[in-house]
Amino acid sequence: MNDSGRQENKEPNMQPSMEYAMAELRNCADLNHLKLPEIGVDFVYFGHFIGSQEFTREISEPFTHIRADEVDQLLKRTIYKPITESQSLIKAILSGEVAVFHGSNTYSVKAYDPKSRAIEESQTESVIVGPHDGFVEEVEVNVSLIRRRVKSSHLKVIKLEIGELTKNHVYVMYINDVVNMEHVNELVHRISGVEMDAVFDGNMLVQYIEDNPNSIFPLFISTERPDTAASMLAEGKVIAILNGSPSVICAPASFFEFFSSPDDYYQRWPVGSALRLLRLFALFMTLTLTPIYVSVTTFHYEMVPETLLLSLAQSRSRVPFPPLFEAILMEITIELLREAGARLPTKIGQTIGIVGGIVIGQAAVQAGITSNILIIAVASSAIASFVIPSYIMSSCIRLVRFPLIILAGLLGNFGFMLGIGFIIVHLAGLTSLKNSYLTPLAPSNLKDWGDIFIRAPFSMLKKRPFVNQSPNPVRNKMRK
Amino acid sequence: MMEKLHPFHVSIMIYMNQSGVIALILPRLFASNYGYNGWLSLAFFFAVSILNIYLISLVYHYGQGRSIFEILEASLPKFFLFPLYVLLAALWTLIGCFAAKQFVFIFQMLDFPTTHPMLLKLLLDILAFSLVIKGIYSISKATTVFFWLFVWMHLLVIYFFGEFQWVRLTSFVFQGETDFVQGGFDIYSAFLGLEIALLLLPYAEKNKKLTRAVYIGNLMSVLAYLVVSVISFGVYSLEQLKRQQYPVLDLLSYIKLPFIERMENLLFAFILFPVLVSVVLYTWASVLALKRIAPKADTNWLAFAALAFSFGAAWVPDVISEVEMLLKYFSYAEEGIAFGLPLLLIIVLLFQRKGHTHA
Repeated sequence: MNDSGRQENKEPNMQPSMEYAMAELRNCADLNHLKLPEIGVDFVYFGHFIGSQEFTREISEPFTHIRADEVDQLLKRTIYKPITESQSLIKAILSGEVAVFHGSNTYSVKAYDPKSRAIEESQTESVIVGPHDGFVEEVEVNVSLIRRRVKSSHLKVIKLEIGELTKNHVYVMYINDVVNMEHVNELVHRISGVEMDAVFDGNMLVQYIEDNPNSIFPLFISTERPDTAASMLAEGKVIAILNGSPSVICAPASFFEFFSSPDDYYQRWPVGSALRLLRLFALFMTLTLTPIYVSVTTFHYEMVPETLLLSLAQSRSRVPFPPLFEAILMEITIELLREAGARLPTKIGQTIGIVGGIVIGQAAVQAGITSNILIIAVASSAIASFVIPSYIMSSCIRLVRFPLIILAGLLGNFGFMLGIGFIIVHLAGLTSLKNSYLTPLAPSNLKDWGDIFIRAPFSMLKKRPFVNQSPNPVRNKMRK
Repeated sequence: MMEKLHPFHVSIMIYMNQSGVIALILPRLFASNYGYNGWLSLAFFFAVSILNIYLISLVYHYGQGRSIFEILEASLPKFFLFPLYVLLAALWTLIGCFAAKQFVFIFQMLDFPTTHPMLLKLLLDILAFSLVIKGIYSISKATTVFFWLFVWMHLLVIYFFGEFQWVRLTSFVFQGETDFVQGGFDIYSAFLGLEIALLLLPYAEKNKKLTRAVYIGNLMSVLAYLVVSVISFGVYSLEQLKRQQYPVLDLLSYIKLPFIERMENLLFAFILFPVLVSVVLYTWASVLALKRIAPKADTNWLAFAALAFSFGAAWVPDVISEVEMLLKYFSYAEEGIAFGLPLLLIIVLLFQRKGHTHA
């Protein structure tokens, strides 16, 4: 039960008063209390929540020019909202409103304007062509970024609260008549059911509300791009924006949607299609290259053509470790480099890349710790993993590679295929908002393949994706 | 709303259940039992399989959406049905078991002479278990992905167009040493798997669509067998085909790419997928049968028990010839079930209709 709920049980009909507010918010050094004793008015607020100029101009200044008998008249203005319950008073102050006390009357006035990050390009989802604005930490700004793109009365917003301590706001957005309302209800139900003291980020929220939170694969798409979020809405998905997080979550999602980027739609369709295929090839490469190397060099040397065998044997001859150990060592090194590069400032990160990639790689081969062909395989599969547009999916695919490498090292091609089998069996059991995660491959919906494996011309993309189960599947029709 | 199996997925399940190691052996079976141009007999087996599906479609028609167990239980006493269910469950589990053991033995022969085959079988069973417990809808989804990972291999026939010579097909038909009857039973085992369609009715869309899907799945298998057999007969001579244990595997070993060659063991690894589908579908079927005997038993535990029984049974044969022999006998029994069970159901249904009309 939340704080306001507790107050409600304890003192349900308590009149709001300044004493109550000051007692409830005692030991809050950031609380401001402005007194105007000559007219009997007090303002209580958190200074960092409100715009100081606006506060002075719109709220405090008008009171300095009036007499005590004119205060009641001034407080009749519509910006002053009377408060009748003590719990609403505390909630209003904590939400960034200014509490105004005059005699036995209490009012709140909105002046919420905290300092926040300006709208910038997303660092994790950059595009070459297309809009460059990204979501920020302010939920109102994010909602506005979407409203600017979807100027429709059908765009609906549900406001929810999450986190017993943090009382963070979540805005669930959808386009009426385009979205399947079962998805909206399910998402709202799941968000409302989250019982946690604090939820800080969209990607954290996702883990409380996914169909299978223990799966390694992300079941909801998260994006920092308003154009992506708007296009998801138009496709019939429902999105959720958490205050304080630039990651907007979209559902239902299918596994293959994680391999598409907004770039695909902004480029000419043959280029977009080529990019899609390239990314799927990257998925194939990142999953197979190192395991196949390990499998071939451990069990299946006969698969290497004679011309290649000489250089492979030469390169492997100085390495004292079995291929499995060699591969795991190099994969972990690459992961260390990636993690170090991500944590350090950009310039040092680049240096780490160069030092790690060239110096350690070269030195490792010369020292006979690893073969240069493995370095090529590991580096290529790492590069291929970075081609996957979703950072979360990319990290997950990189992690999935390790069991594949181990199985290939223990049981060769059989182990590798077994590993692929386990991945597919796991994927087949996953759902996103109760929709198959493998759509449109399984269940097969061939019409959707034009927007999954390639990016077909817009004239052919007339229908909304099957995974969204939209009641209005045709894109160029809108119910009035 | 309960999810329904789409006809496309039913076709794929039937195709994947029929495919497997048998496709690697089929050209030898044609050559040994039907002589020159033995592949032409495929037309006869296709016709028989159509008859088999027709019998199943009659069960759909008269059964009106009821499961085979409901149909049987409405007319036959439990003391007759329970032993039948146990027999069916055992047979289906053992067919899946020995198909898996055969696959594992071939893999061991190719690559892992020192690894105990039961270790490989154990891993395959764990994978099968993880899929069986997810239910038929997830099985169909996984099967569809396995299908796409497997079906591309048929394109490899393009590689043999250069080697293929029409003259090797000769102008003789069914000449040489032949054994039409026993060979026929052996070859028809390649069509086993379609009888699983009997159990799909409560989970699928409309009867007519389901029947069509089973026909299409069977047709896909026939086309695949046709391609493999014609290519084998056009690349090898009859005597070569008769002597090769796995002629298609030998064919695959010829494939050479600039960066990879001797791909047969990699390509053979892809056959894991249809083998897995067969194990999973037969285990799922046996769990359904067991569930009728012990309706309160946990499905996961029944699946575990079936696969544990399968794992135990797989210890019995020590060499591949024993596995193939056992698989052959169980396939004969399953051929009997493939025709006998629909016939029994039709008889029961006709009696039920008659009783209903009189009432």
